[in-house]
Amino acid sequence: MSILERYVQSTESQIPTVSHHGEIPSGMPTCTIEIDGQEVTAAIGESILRAAQRAGYNIPTLCDDEKLAPAAACRMCLVEIEGFERPMPSCHLPVQPGMKIKATSDGLFTKRRQNLEYILSDHNAYCMPPCQVGCPTHIDIPGFLELEAKGQHIEAARVLKETLPFPYALGLVCPAPCQEVCRRGLVEEEIAIRQCHGYFGELSAEMEKAPTPFPQAPATGKRVAVVGAGPAGMTCAYYSSLKGHQVTVFDMMPKQGGMLRYGIPEYRLPKVKLDKELNCVWQLGAEFKGGMMLGRDFTVDDLFAQGYDAVFLGLGAWRSNELRIPGEDLPGVIEAISYLNQNASGDPVPVGKGSRVVVIGGGFTTFDCSRTSRRLGADVTVVYRRSRKEMGAHYSEVDDAEHEGIRLEFFAAPVKVVEKDGRVGGVEFQRMALGEPDASGRRRPVPIEGSDFVIECDTVIPAIGQVPNLDWYEGSPGLRKTRRETIVASGALMTDRPGVFAGGDCQMGAVTVIQSVAQGKLAAKAIDQYLSGADMARVAAEITEEESVPELIDIVPYKPEEPQVRMPFLPFDQRVQSFQLIENGYAKPQAEKEAARCLQCVCPDVGRCHLQRLSLEHGLTDNRFHRAEPRDFHDYEYDFSHDFILRDLNKCINCTQCVRICRDVIGANCYGLMGVGYDSIVTTPWNVSLQYTDCVSCGACAETCPTGALMMRERDLETWELDITRCIYCGDCVEVCPHAALGETPNFELSVYQRFGRTVVAKEELAVARTWKPSEAIPTDGEERRGRVRPPEVRPPAPPRWGA
Amino acid sequence: MPTETAFRVLGADPSGALERALSLSPDETIGLVESAALRGRGGAGFPLGEKMRATRTAAELAGGAAYLVANAYDADPASPLSQTLLRRSPELVVDGILIAARAVGARQAYLYLRPEAADARSAAERAIASRDGRTDVSIEIALGPGGFMGGEESALLAVLENKRAMARQRPPWPAEQGRAMRPTLVSCAETLAALPLIVRDGPDSFGGREGSRGTKLVSVTGAVVEPGVYEVSLGTTLGEIVQTAGGVTHALKAIHVGGPTCGILSSTRTGVRYDYEDLRAAGTYMGSGQVRAIPEGTCIVAEAARLFEYLSKETCAICVPCRVGTKRVGGILESVSSGLGRDDDLAWLGQLADHLSDFSLCGFGITSASIVRTTLAEFPDDYRTHIVDRRCPEGTCTPVRARRYETMAQP
Repeated sequence: MSILERYVQSTESQIPTVSHHGEIPSGMPTCTIEIDGQEVTAAIGESILRAAQRAGYNIPTLCDDEKLAPAAACRMCLVEIEGFERPMPSCHLPVQPGMKIKATSDGLFTKRRQNLEYILSDHNAYCMPPCQVGCPTHIDIPGFLELEAKGQHIEAARVLKETLPFPYALGLVCPAPCQEVCRRGLVEEEIAIRQCHGYFGELSAEMEKAPTPFPQAPATGKRVAVVGAGPAGMTCAYYSSLKGHQVTVFDMMPKQGGMLRYGIPEYRLPKVKLDKELNCVWQLGAEFKGGMMLGRDFTVDDLFAQGYDAVFLGLGAWRSNELRIPGEDLPGVIEAISYLNQNASGDPVPVGKGSRVVVIGGGFTTFDCSRTSRRLGADVTVVYRRSRKEMGAHYSEVDDAEHEGIRLEFFAAPVKVVEKDGRVGGVEFQRMALGEPDASGRRRPVPIEGSDFVIECDTVIPAIGQVPNLDWYEGSPGLRKTRRETIVASGALMTDRPGVFAGGDCQMGAVTVIQSVAQGKLAAKAIDQYLSGADMARVAAEITEEESVPELIDIVPYKPEEPQVRMPFLPFDQRVQSFQLIENGYAKPQAEKEAARCLQCVCPDVGRCHLQRLSLEHGLTDNRFHRAEPRDFHDYEYDFSHDFILRDLNKCINCTQCVRICRDVIGANCYGLMGVGYDSIVTTPWNVSLQYTDCVSCGACAETCPTGALMMRERDLETWELDITRCIYCGDCVEVCPHAALGETPNFELSVYQRFGRTVVAKEELAVARTWKPSEAIPTDGEERRGRVRPPEVRPPAPPRWGA
Repeated sequence: MPTETAFRVLGADPSGALERALSLSPDETIGLVESAALRGRGGAGFPLGEKMRATRTAAELAGGAAYLVANAYDADPASPLSQTLLRRSPELVVDGILIAARAVGARQAYLYLRPEAADARSAAERAIASRDGRTDVSIEIALGPGGFMGGEESALLAVLENKRAMARQRPPWPAEQGRAMRPTLVSCAETLAALPLIVRDGPDSFGGREGSRGTKLVSVTGAVVEPGVYEVSLGTTLGEIVQTAGGVTHALKAIHVGGPTCGILSSTRTGVRYDYEDLRAAGTYMGSGQVRAIPEGTCIVAEAARLFEYLSKETCAICVPCRVGTKRVGGILESVSSGLGRDDDLAWLGQLADHLSDFSLCGFGITSASIVRTTLAEFPDDYRTHIVDRRCPEGTCTPVRARRYETMAQP
């Protein structure tokens, strides 16, 4: 294969730049060298690095490209060679017969690590956005916030819906793990990410037809049954429908929403708006069958008999854990889930004005029950056996509950329910102290002898967790369950029975809504793969790989401080006796202002960046060279001026790969080192835009760049009006398009589109079509395309594909 | 004490040397150089005879001509040795180039000069013109880019190829693959200047003791009565060299030997002999041939910081340890001198010095570690007073930075 041929290949089949696994061509003279005590056969004349790579040694390097003459610039591949005074670069030194080489040693490791610390200390850039890593469903948070700040609301909603179909509901109920890790918090206060996506959820729920992340695929003729219309099931139904499958959602309750409707009280999530949001699933053609309970009305076998090709079980966890103390069966002890359920359904509940309620537990359900009871006019006490810090519920909810007049009692565990007149008269508690941490990392409460006390009450609500209701399990051969009453599923969320998938609470035990959504999303992906006949073990491995996201954080540049935009809340005094929504939501200017605070701390090269990989391999999680004078660091402007190549000199590590490839392979010679000393930087002559060099937009520099200093820009294609009277159908435009954007169209000739009355495919469609491959038909929903906005310039790429 | 000889390059008259050399075969010439044990005066001290033989062998193997580059660049501006030599004895240098070029089989030779060395250039041009037609070697005057790195052996080869002055990883040495990948003899003009005298008067005229024979030009600067370029026999002690320049003007605190990338010795080390091995043993190098007398009242921490500040502005930036390392080491030294030092900074500096000398690409980074090592070893009190007592031992340092390097862990 010639060198140039490599460039015209698709990314997947390109030879990895750094790791080289080729064999020695036959007939080449070889010799034997010794690496770390092992004999290695090497071709005479090749570098030590190449020989070592072929033999499977992972010598780190940042400036090696087999196409290029070695530069020995990064000093990562240095090895100790017998007979040499100091370590020598293995990329530069040809093998000599009998060479004795030490490629790994503690000394080399420390010095390579030191080298990386140096490089990162002058690598003024962000790496992974921690919010996206922290989010279970990995929302492209910097992406949608950037669009939001620009006022491109529909496009932002699309980006959100790529991973989260119900941003409104989650905007109200999510515990927001993303916000806890937000890097803006290092400046002053984290971004209100949850509130921001809530704004978009509200916006798209109010639209006649909610925007979809990508156009719905044509019908596949496959049928998917989703059991459970909760967050996991609805998410699975949403993405399965988008893939073109015919989805039916079964639920035991008459209405959609699962725990979102029947568990979460009205003041946190108004059901009218929830319905509007969930409607986006039905808009895609899925149908709902309420009042159908698995095990009572149908079995898994029935579904297959009815012609469904795959089944997703998103049953939720509807059975409250028991306290296992005496007196639990007394009247007045009520089950948390059915209590919330009845209240949500409008049925009468055994709590009202004047009731004295004790809620036991510290999770989300605890506070849903206690705050509901408070709103019904009761006098409420929440009792938890550990401290406030260990509570499972979000701290804001604990604070709110306290402000709403709920008493909190910590370090107390129930001993028995006290009987009075044949029903509950109070609960006897024992004081606890915190002991050693348990498996979950929380300190285990230890009882204090003789510290018993009684809280008088007439109603007890134990809310100490839920488990799935698996009563139907006996009638479903092929499924397995764990001791914790959850369904066993593989990494692809498939149960032991092929075609049956499970996710959400019924697979993981009671978890947060966003975790269920993440599982529904993954299940939809797995189901689609299953229906197309993929090897499920491979799918499971793929999903596992995608879910494990590396994390590396660099310098946080200075930003002027700007506090969070506060969410307008319902005042506390109006909350008692009222189920009115307490979070009123952002208005447009507030949402845009808050989104503009985002630092956009994400590098598009994450996952492909060799600096990131090596830093992780060398355990470089801190850097000793931070926070000094501005003159110790470099801060360059982004160069957006070229149409296809994005230059960010902040990430340049002076490896000179682009210099060499552009000069020696391409011949355009666009790059060189500028300046002298520490301030030297690889750039174009006089640092002009690439536009004004001999650049041929080949992208070789971006391909060989070990970091994100040179990147292919997001496709920024425009729709051009074609003057049909002047087009001679020469096809030149197809030939010269540097991104083969026109050539990739199935009908090849540009003119075809005009003949059939269509325009050239719009850039947005290409940009948002994540899974679109050149071999597939161009996705088009036939709607108007004008006025749509560009996707964000900087957004995280596809999952990592290292060492492929 | 080394044997004093009449051997001198400064002001020497090379008449008769070229005629004698033209009557010798290349092997005989190289043999003479080898028996004189002439070592490179550019700082590294590599035996010239060995280098010439390697170049000649490589050229014969590769077929075709070799190149010769006489490095008269004087990278260290405070040490204008080659310029002085060219002004005083340009014919000596030119004859040396012609003799060496003939011996290694080079037809094209370059005399590589600093762009601002106008006097040396005109002297050299006159000398070249006077030798016109005597041999088949043509000498071209090449001008470097200015700056410190322009004088580095492999960087000057890049300059001769019309590239940026960047160091190149060795091996391959220039003797095998130099200018345009051809065998190239790169030698200091001062080394080559010894050739005509060795060829004419025989290797014994060179004098001196085993391992470091002959004389060396040194530039004595700093607190001395008569700063300037002097020629001393190798093996002369540092104290004698200072005396040669008329003695010190103030009490001596330290002697900085070798120029900007080399180490600073304490004034108690005036007995150290000025030759390759003894200077290495003392922790520094011959370097650019500068011997600087540092008077009492100079803070060595600030001195080291100032040196690294200079180095970080001069590095060619090809390798990470040198480009970032000199900046970071300088930053730490600056924070120590600005009263922001911490106890563990000294150990840290030691680690970074090891990294600099082990992982750098060329002599620039490798030798610069000696600044950290010698100052830490010889002037621990200067550092300690700065770090522990939070004051400058000499009372001269003013803070140059308000923020020091801090560790930032990943949140």
